[in-house]
Amino acid sequence: MSANPSLGETLAVLLARDIADGEKVIIGTNSDIQLAACNLARRMQAPRLWWISGPGGMVNPTRDHLLSTADYENVESAESWMDLPVMIDFIDWKIHFFDFAILSALQVDRFGNINTVVVGDQRKPKVRGPGTVGISALCGLAKRFYVCLTRHDRSAFVPRVDFLCGPGHMEGGDSRERMGLPPGGPKLVLSPLGVFDFAPGSKAMRVRSISPGVTLEQIRDSTAFDLVVDGAPPVTAMPNDQELDLLRKHVDRRGDLRRKFP
Amino acid sequence: MTKSKIVSVDEAVAEIQDGAKVALGGWIFNSQPMALVRALIRKRARNLHLIPAPGSIAPDMLIGAGCAASTVCVFISFEQFGLAPHFRRQSESGALKVHDLDGPGIAGGLRAGICDLPYMPVPDLGTDLPKFAPEHYWPLPSKEGERKMLAVAAIKPDVCLLHAQQADEHGNVQYLGPPFFDAMIAQASRRVIVSVDRIVSTDTIRRSNHLTKLPGAMVDAIVEAPFGAHPTASPSLFRSDGAHLKEYVKSSASSETFGGYLDRYVRTASPDAYLDVIGGSRLAALAVSETNLK
Repeated sequence: MSANPSLGETLAVLLARDIADGEKVIIGTNSDIQLAACNLARRMQAPRLWWISGPGGMVNPTRDHLLSTADYENVESAESWMDLPVMIDFIDWKIHFFDFAILSALQVDRFGNINTVVVGDQRKPKVRGPGTVGISALCGLAKRFYVCLTRHDRSAFVPRVDFLCGPGHMEGGDSRERMGLPPGGPKLVLSPLGVFDFAPGSKAMRVRSISPGVTLEQIRDSTAFDLVVDGAPPVTAMPNDQELDLLRKHVDRRGDLRRKFP
Repeated sequence: MTKSKIVSVDEAVAEIQDGAKVALGGWIFNSQPMALVRALIRKRARNLHLIPAPGSIAPDMLIGAGCAASTVCVFISFEQFGLAPHFRRQSESGALKVHDLDGPGIAGGLRAGICDLPYMPVPDLGTDLPKFAPEHYWPLPSKEGERKMLAVAAIKPDVCLLHAQQADEHGNVQYLGPPFFDAMIAQASRRVIVSVDRIVSTDTIRRSNHLTKLPGAMVDAIVEAPFGAHPTASPSLFRSDGAHLKEYVKSSASSETFGGYLDRYVRTASPDAYLDVIGGSRLAALAVSETNLK
């Protein structure tokens, strides 16, 4: 295979590997990596993955390149089209309709809670983010979720999010269940430095694998809380030739992931 | 025969009072009601309370032009072009009051508004939203073993501004692409103003009546505004204009440059003059066809 995978391509492949056949998933707005992961999974082990776009309400569009999930040219290639007022019952109220969602964030914390609203105080924020949209309901009500970040530093990996808009494991332990939320929460957090999961019991973020060429020290320095480390975490298995070939020929023909997330 | 609902863009916004609650339809870079937004800015609207569906340039331009005192924020983003510049600046300075709502907050609120109910129940998802918008969310009692619930307050906009592809003079509005939240917003609003790319005959409406998402009884005014969503897309007819969106973001860097943008594209320009400034070849290149797939 030609060039090494870009960050965006690597994240898409790592996510695609974790998707099971027949699962139901929702993809939000501005979601190139998420969309690529789902379409790649459909080319690999999950041909019957069912994905719907939050804004467009389209199901399983079949383009060989990445387009916005609200884009009409994507909608045109979908097998069905649900009106938003019908779909929101599944998004906002129903428990476990979706197997998972893949979300991005301004901040993620030690227990996998996420923030897309503000950095600082909501009334006079340091950074005003785009807002919550379906994130609260998907984190709260899907069977699991993934957090996919294209940067890893102490302003993104924080002890406690400044504004909790997507509930993860809340305060850790069984606090999510005590809050009255259905079973679920974050399964994996992916960043340029590694892949993270949550330790059983404490539900605190744990290093699962480390990107090639990155050290545990680097990860610790870039994270503003103590990560759980069990033994010596392995190096993340990078995309193989077959995965990259499928991704570049059938999912992202225009190379958007390489351009946007080098 | 009822009177035609077709009015000019300036007539359509004339009755929107300063301080009104104005809902905006579409979705991010799709179907933002820009011809109507530009008319509101020309009219020098002030102290509006915005209730945008997940949006981009429609709420951001109203905020930047000084028309808004507050906004609901479900999601306001310029996606690949970054954060919404004026929304961001005025939020961070504290000049703009922002009511953060999540999907259940806006959907439940609009449903309550539609049904003349004071609130709708939504699941308590453990977020910080109620802490910062207690006027929108409050706890409801629940029985042992039931899900924890919140109430979300009814949302009843005074007026909504929408953009769709075609309508007839009776106000039957057809969507040739996704209608997003538009029908819910229209049902919840006291007054419904829709710009469309083209007016068609009632015969045309009847031939494809499944496309009529807003029947005439729900609509108060229709404005013919070809490319009325520009620089965002009108699904199935034309795409969003990325170059113009970039120019908008760039011009938003300072009040001088943004003043220049408003002078050029908004303040002096009628809808026809706006299209002339954008340019015919530019608009033609945005038209959706199989030969200009990029």
